[in-house]
Amino acid sequence: MVKTKRLCTLLCRLMALGATVSAAIVMATSHEKANFYSVSFEAKYSHTPAFKYFVIANAIVSVYGVLVLFLPSESLLWRLVVALDVVFTLLLTSSVSAALAIAQVGKHGNSYAGWLPICGQVPNYCGHVKGALVAGFIGVILYALLILYSIHTVLDPLLLRKN
Amino acid sequence: MALETERKTEAIFNSTPARKQKDRILLLLRLVAFLATASATIVMALNKQTNTLVVATIGNNPIKANLTAKFQYTPAFVFFVVANGMASFHNCFILVLEIVGHRIDYKGLRLAIIAILDMLIVVLAAAGDGAAVFMAELGKNGNSHARWNKICDKFQTFCDHGTGALIASFIGLILLLIINIISIAKLFKPKSDITI
Repeated sequence: MVKTKRLCTLLCRLMALGATVSAAIVMATSHEKANFYSVSFEAKYSHTPAFKYFVIANAIVSVYGVLVLFLPSESLLWRLVVALDVVFTLLLTSSVSAALAIAQVGKHGNSYAGWLPICGQVPNYCGHVKGALVAGFIGVILYALLILYSIHTVLDPLLLRKN
Repeated sequence: MALETERKTEAIFNSTPARKQKDRILLLLRLVAFLATASATIVMALNKQTNTLVVATIGNNPIKANLTAKFQYTPAFVFFVVANGMASFHNCFILVLEIVGHRIDYKGLRLAIIAILDMLIVVLAAAGDGAAVFMAELGKNGNSHARWNKICDKFQTFCDHGTGALIASFIGLILLLIINIISIAKLFKPKSDITI
């Protein structure tokens, strides 16, 4: 029973690690140059603070994910992991939400503020960013499942375990 | 089995004076968090500014237009208002539960349910904050690469109100996170207190 739980947690954490690593890498490699009526137009992730925050947050959570994988089970640090999981899920979801907000402006523009959408000029960049956002979103969902699962594994709230 | 669970519930709810003090501090923190998130919701929801701006010049006559800045024009701010509204509703609900329904319980799971709900609300509020803060930064600084002009120089009051709402929301978020971590730490304790 313990082995199945350990395997399940390991698998979930590995998938979450993969999601965050891929989100960070895909967003960091998004780059496109376009010529728009003889005006050179370059789109890079570092031009937008929200996308920079997305890359940094996913990188931090990936490092944390790697470190947690090496934690031996039945160690006392798992209690800290429960609390840290909440903090890092918070970081992840705020970064995905921020990147989504800016990407939405980039795709649809904002007529009230006079901001034109840019996806028409740099469609490859837009597709790249979309992929990174999908990976980030999958990471958020997996981490949300993980915090619920950590509470269940470590704390046994249904008082089912004989102590 | 039922008797065991009952005894465990008794052990959990036997509060010593030190624990009562901690509970009161937690209650106070939650009250402040509720006030912070509620004020963030209200300030952002009432955020509106109308300004007369010169839009174009034909010949010698400047054409003026009435432009309004509302929070509904940006999906990020709408999400911010909704998330903070839900957070303040959750805070209010748990406050009422703690003050009035002190003995309401479900198989000894009360602390666990509160902790899990807290976690979900913390994550939601963080998402709302993240989106709104970067949107506000875009409005304040613009983005020269995408040719997006900043709007804060024309709508100063709108930006100021938005900044205030954001700060209040961040205070509420940090307090909620502290409360959540304390609740999780409290969940660990009953295991050592059970004497059967």
